[in-house]
Amino acid sequence: EALLGRGTSAAAVALGGSVATVATSSPGVAAVAAVPPGKGEARGDCRREPWEAGSPCAARSLGSSPLSEQLLLLAGAFAVGGVVVVEDQPDVSAVLSAYNQQGDPTLYEEYYSGLKHFIECSLDCHRAELSQLFYPLFVHMYLELVYNQHESEAKSFFERFHGDQECYYQDDLRVLSSLTKKEHMKGNETMLDFRTSKFVLRISRDSYQLLKRHLQEKQNNQIWNIVQEHLYIDIFDGMPRSKQQIDAMVGSLAGEAKREANKAKVFFGLLKEPEFDVPLDDEDEEGENEEGKPKKKKPKKDNVGSKSKKQDPNAPPQNRIPLPELKDSDKLDKVMNMKEAARRVRLGPECLPSICFYTFLNAYQGLTAVDITDDSSMIVGGFADSTVRVWSVTPKKLRSVKTAADLSLIDKESDDVLERIMDEKTASELKILYGHSGPVYGTSFSPDRNYLLSCSEDGTVRLWSLQTFTCLVGYKGHNYPVWDTQFSPYGYYFVSGGHDRVARLWATDHYQPLRIFAGHLADVTCTRFHPNSNYIATGSADRTIRLWDVLNGNCVRIFTGHKGPIHSLAFSPNGRFLATGATDGRVLLWDIGHGLMVGELKGHTDTIYALRFSRDGEILASGSMDNTVRLWDAVKAFEDLETDDFTTATGHINLPENSQDLLLGTYMTKSTPVVHLHFTRRNLLLAAGAYSSQ
Amino acid sequence: FSPGYVTTILDDAKIYSSHAKKSSVDADDVRLAIQCRTDQSFTSPPPRDFLLDIARQKNQTPLPLIKPYSGPRLPPDRYCLTAPNYRLKSLQKKVSSTAGRITVPRLSVGAVSSRPSTPTLGTPSAQTVSVSAKVGAPVSLAGQRFTVQIPSSQPAGKSATPTTPTVQNVLINPSLIGPKNILITTNMVPPGAADPNPLKRKHEDDDDYDAL
Repeated sequence: EALLGRGTSAAAVALGGSVATVATSSPGVAAVAAVPPGKGEARGDCRREPWEAGSPCAARSLGSSPLSEQLLLLAGAFAVGGVVVVEDQPDVSAVLSAYNQQGDPTLYEEYYSGLKHFIECSLDCHRAELSQLFYPLFVHMYLELVYNQHESEAKSFFERFHGDQECYYQDDLRVLSSLTKKEHMKGNETMLDFRTSKFVLRISRDSYQLLKRHLQEKQNNQIWNIVQEHLYIDIFDGMPRSKQQIDAMVGSLAGEAKREANKAKVFFGLLKEPEFDVPLDDEDEEGENEEGKPKKKKPKKDNVGSKSKKQDPNAPPQNRIPLPELKDSDKLDKVMNMKEAARRVRLGPECLPSICFYTFLNAYQGLTAVDITDDSSMIVGGFADSTVRVWSVTPKKLRSVKTAADLSLIDKESDDVLERIMDEKTASELKILYGHSGPVYGTSFSPDRNYLLSCSEDGTVRLWSLQTFTCLVGYKGHNYPVWDTQFSPYGYYFVSGGHDRVARLWATDHYQPLRIFAGHLADVTCTRFHPNSNYIATGSADRTIRLWDVLNGNCVRIFTGHKGPIHSLAFSPNGRFLATGATDGRVLLWDIGHGLMVGELKGHTDTIYALRFSRDGEILASGSMDNTVRLWDAVKAFEDLETDDFTTATGHINLPENSQDLLLGTYMTKSTPVVHLHFTRRNLLLAAGAYSSQ
Repeated sequence: FSPGYVTTILDDAKIYSSHAKKSSVDADDVRLAIQCRTDQSFTSPPPRDFLLDIARQKNQTPLPLIKPYSGPRLPPDRYCLTAPNYRLKSLQKKVSSTAGRITVPRLSVGAVSSRPSTPTLGTPSAQTVSVSAKVGAPVSLAGQRFTVQIPSSQPAGKSATPTTPTVQNVLINPSLIGPKNILITTNMVPPGAADPNPLKRKHEDDDDYDAL
């Protein structure tokens, strides 16, 4: 039996890095870990589970016949005997050495075309699934050639096969074509991550069996090696997927998401609002009693919180993460909110919102970020000249607190002391905040309107006071451009994401981040809090969206499907769904609880930079670089989801082609890309963008 | 960008080759120059395994509890940008000192020199000695902040009212503002009240801006 472990495995798998794992869904059969005995310790994923009869190394040495399973089992056991530790972050040099010479470079083209031929000749139903193999194999083979410095072979390999790849991989291929030497590979972090992480493919069992049988028949098959090392094949039982289904879900830099990546329980419910009395105001009720009846001055009880006394099973416990207490000013704000909510227009397909567009003139294409307060009283713009400008949307001007000198002069006991501390002399519509040393890429108001955050290319996130209009803190942690930042819906916490591929959770009173969310393969371009503040969604340039748990920093969901970097995220107000927009012009809808894609909205032709649900979640508005705002029917998009166990087991559902039905309206601006969308408390849609003359 | 970059690299390579006492610039020199420049200017974000590691460490600590009713929640003052980054010069004018210019009372800040008690006012000139002699004003230390109230040397003899600390005409050496937030204010009678040449005083301020 010695032959099994040592002989072929050594030749084939003399690598420092990864290990092939083939995971299956059915409980009976399980995974095998083929261990490279070349190294002293075993590295890579390994699973302590009963062994599948198809141990690759063993199979190859014994020929294709599914021989005595005992032999194979032994082989598996023997080979794995050396497994010591699960180490999933091999260091760089080990990873690069994973591309040791394994086969004759000139034969790579032959291997690839052999596989191509096989797949093209296979049955229609399997062809779509097996075609998923092309791209990762192509990239890994190319990188192997480059690493081993077979430049000419690499070039010709690339020339011959890059046109066969799917259109949505073209950007990656362009980057790849510039990597022609080994030295180029070392500097490119994204490519390094691509090689260290396993590209996940989801293939149905039948297709997988077909593939395996074919690859194991051939002698000296390079492709099988690569499949083992760099691909993770997530097998599911069920019908093979059609090209359409596959196209909807692939596209990310690391393939799709493994099924168990989306299995953790997520508390997507909302936190209970505190109950308190809402006093009726006289002035607001003018139109109410035309008949002159005496107005009842009974305070209204807040009904929202008391509807269900028992805990929503999907909502996180109130104290799961520490949240700031409700101050009096917050309570007043909530009262206002409820009053406005009573006046809110109920939107729907028959009742579309009016859209009010705020155009930034003379911004010279320098407008990079916009935010509007929840009560729509202030609007902030972050600009490429590193200034942050705050405007007042209402007729009320922006006032800052008086200087210390003047403050000592006022009467502290007077009733309107809060008014008197404000300086009338310097009140203005616009306040400019200077401080950053690079373009400001993200801005966020705090829910209590006291603070403003801005993040910039200089790597810092700055906290500004909106009472003195000065900078209070600069949070340094990212040393690279920070692309997005947002305050938590309850204030105090905020999240930022940047070029260093991580998102960080901060609290305003800690100068270092509280949580670091690492896992993306490329820059984190968009960060959003869930309405219950327990989860953070991050969209990245690696074309995936990850949902992170604030409590322990774990990634609880991975959503793949976009074909370009993600630039906008929006949670539905009920916390159950997530809408995402990217440079590919599609809006994808995700069910957070089940971890599935539940909708695809096609229509935009350019990057979608703004997404917002209406206040009660009936309408989804999307704004894009193609100068339009589109309204979609969210209620219809999320209704009748057949999510039974079978669906969640396979991990995908059939997406209906109903984009046209869901589109409620398209509104074009003259030539102003839409950068921000905001629904006021009464469901008026505000949009913002900078006029661009071309 | 590229002509500048190439020039920089070649210059560096020349330096390295002359350091190694070679007669001409070698390919190795150029390679070294590129490598050094890359490490310096074109840093790339940390590798993924490193990030995962620090993330694991950071995420293990539980989220800190929030103290209720603690006012604006900001990090400790040394991490904020709320300290003044200037200081005003004090006005010891009219009589020329030995140095020929207006001296600033040397305040050895207690926190820096680890003498948290009353700061001493080192005053070389005779004129200013008299000022310091008049300093009977309370020097209050409040935690990390202390204010020094120096009554102005007004011929009118008005003594400053300690109730309204106004920061006027005093330059504070930024180096004296250490990690603790030390605010030094001087109490001057408002210029409106002081008749003798308020404008002149301001001029003198400007002149002696670089006295420190």
